[in-house]
Amino acid sequence: MVAAQKRHSVLARLLKYRWLYLLGLPGMAILFVFHYLPMGSLVMAFEDYDPWVGLMNSPFVGLKHFSKLFNDSKFYLMLWNTLKISILSLITFPAPIILALLLNEVRSAAFKKTIQTAVYLPHFLSWTIVVSLTFFLLSSEQGLINKIIVSSGGEAHAFLFDKSIIYFIIVIQSVWKGVGWGSIVYLAAIAGIDQGLYEAARIDGANKFQSILHITLPCILPTVAVMLILKMGSIISVDFEQVLLMTNALVKEKLEVFEVYIYQNGVKSGSTQFSYTTAIGMFKSVVSTILVITTNRIVSSNGMKGIM
Amino acid sequence: MAQKLETKQNYGKLGMRASENIYQCLIGVLLALLASTMILPFLYVLVISFTDSTAYVSGSFYLWPKKWSTEAYVLILRGRGFLDALRASLFITFVGTPINVCANAGLAYMLSKDDLIGRGVINKLVMFTMLFGAGMIPNFINIRNLGLINSWFANILPGACGAWTVMVMKSFFQELPRDIEEAAEIDGCGTMRMFFQIVLPLSLAMLATFTLFALVSYWNCYFSAIMYLTDTSKMPLQVYLQKIVLSTDISEVVDVQDDLVNKVPQEVMRMASLVVVVFPILCIYPFMQKYFAKGVMVGAVKG
Repeated sequence: MVAAQKRHSVLARLLKYRWLYLLGLPGMAILFVFHYLPMGSLVMAFEDYDPWVGLMNSPFVGLKHFSKLFNDSKFYLMLWNTLKISILSLITFPAPIILALLLNEVRSAAFKKTIQTAVYLPHFLSWTIVVSLTFFLLSSEQGLINKIIVSSGGEAHAFLFDKSIIYFIIVIQSVWKGVGWGSIVYLAAIAGIDQGLYEAARIDGANKFQSILHITLPCILPTVAVMLILKMGSIISVDFEQVLLMTNALVKEKLEVFEVYIYQNGVKSGSTQFSYTTAIGMFKSVVSTILVITTNRIVSSNGMKGIM
Repeated sequence: MAQKLETKQNYGKLGMRASENIYQCLIGVLLALLASTMILPFLYVLVISFTDSTAYVSGSFYLWPKKWSTEAYVLILRGRGFLDALRASLFITFVGTPINVCANAGLAYMLSKDDLIGRGVINKLVMFTMLFGAGMIPNFINIRNLGLINSWFANILPGACGAWTVMVMKSFFQELPRDIEEAAEIDGCGTMRMFFQIVLPLSLAMLATFTLFALVSYWNCYFSAIMYLTDTSKMPLQVYLQKIVLSTDISEVVDVQDDLVNKVPQEVMRMASLVVVVFPILCIYPFMQKYFAKGVMVGAVKG
C-alpha cells in the first residue's frame, strides 16, 4: 500500500517535471554522445585495433600497449618536456597576483579601467592570433626585432628555431595571454577585504608597502593557495594548440608532448597506431584525473572551496 | 611655537602628497608598460598592413609607411580562400552559439530544481565530464562513427554543452527570487512558459555573457577544424590565417584572380589577414567587458 503510494508519487513527480526533462534533454544528449560514448572506444587501448574488423572483434592484448609505453624512451621525453613547460610556467604563477596588487593601488578609476581593458583582451584571442603576432615579432626576415637588429648593423637571429629559448617564448606567450584574466580572481579577493583594517593600520603608522605585506597578502592567501593547488592539478597538461602551432622541425624534440604525438601519429597517419596512441591518451587522462581529484581533496580538507 | 608646528605638519602633508604622487606615477608607468605590450603589437600590424607595395622595402625596419594603400585588403577580401573560410567561420559561430546557449541553459534550469528525480545522478555525470575525458583518438573515432567528419557540426556539437557553464548557470538560476516562479505557478504557468517568458528574461545579463563567450570560442575554433574537417575549402578563418602566416606561397591560399597578388609583399598580406581575422573579436570585446565587469564572471571564477 505504502509502496504503491510511493511509486505513484514518483510517477506523479516524473510526470509533473516532464517538460523540465525535455528542456534538459539537448544538453544531456550532447554530453552523452560526445563525452560518454567515446569512452567505449577506450577498450582499444587493450587490443590491437583493426578498423576492418571493428572494436568488438579486434584481438585483445591486455596491457601490451602500456608496457610498450613504459619502455618507450619517447614517452619519457614527452613526460619530461611537459613537466619542464609546466614547471617554468609555475614560476610565472605570481604574475597575476602582482598585477592585481598594482591595479588595486591605482587611484584614478578611468586609468584603472583602461589598463584592465587592455590586459584582459589577449584572453579572448585564439592561439593562432598569438602565434602569428609572435611570428611578426620574432621571425628572421619579417620579425620586428630582427629588422631592428639588422638595420642597426647586427645579424638576424632565428629566434623561433632556437632550441635554447623556445620554452622561454612559450612561457612569455602564456603569461601575455593569461595574466590579465588571471588577475580577476585576485582583484575579487582584494575587494572583499575589510577596509577598516587598512584604516587601523594607517592610524598605527603603517605605510603602503607595510599594509600590502601585512593586510592584503595574508587576506588573499586562501585564494592564492586554492589557485596554486589547482594549478598543480594540471601539471601534466600543456596548452596543446599553442605547442602544436609553435612546433617546427628544429625545435620539435623540445616540444614533443603527449597530445602533439597523439595527433601526429594517431590522427594524421591513419589507424595503425590507434591502439597505442589511445593508450598514451588514456594514461594522461587517468593521471590528470587523479591529480585533479587529489588537489581538490587538499583544497576542501583545508576548509576552502575547490572546483567540486 | 604653535605656528612652527603647523608649518611642520604642512610640510609633512606636502611630503606625503608628493610621495603619494610619485608612488601613483610609478605604478602608472609599470601598468602602462604592461598594457602597451597588449596594444602596440596590434597597432604595428595595423600600420604595416596598409603599406603600399611600391613603398615596401623587404627586411627593412619602419614604423610608418611612406605610401599607404589598401591593396592587401582588397586582394584578401576578394580571394576565394577568404570567402570560403569566412563562410565556415560564420556558420560555425552563428549556428553554434544558439545551440550552445540553449543546451547549457536548458540543462542548467533542469538541474536547478531541487526535487527533480535523478537530479543527483545527472549532476554527478555532468561534473564527471570535467574530470575525465576519453582523449583525442576515441573522440575522433566517435565523430567518424557519427558520420560528422568534414561537417561543421563536428566543430559545433562536442563543445556545445560544458560542465562548467552548466554549473555557473545553475547557481545563477537557483539564486533567482523563488516567489516570482511560485506566483506564476499558482496562476497556472507551465514549465515551458515559465522558462522562456519569466526565467530567461530575468537572466539576460548572464545569458549575454555566455552568448559572447560562445561566440568567441566558436570564432577561435582551430584544432577541431584541422582534426575533423578534410576539405580545404571548408576550413574556418583561424586555419586560413595559420596557413597564410606559415606558407611560402601565399597566392595559393589567398586564391584570387589578380596579378597584383604577386606584387604585394608577403608580410603586408599576412598582417592584413591577421587584422581581418581579429577584427570581429575587437568589435564585440567592449560588450564583453561591460558584462564580465558586472561581476557575473567574478562570481563564476570564485566557483
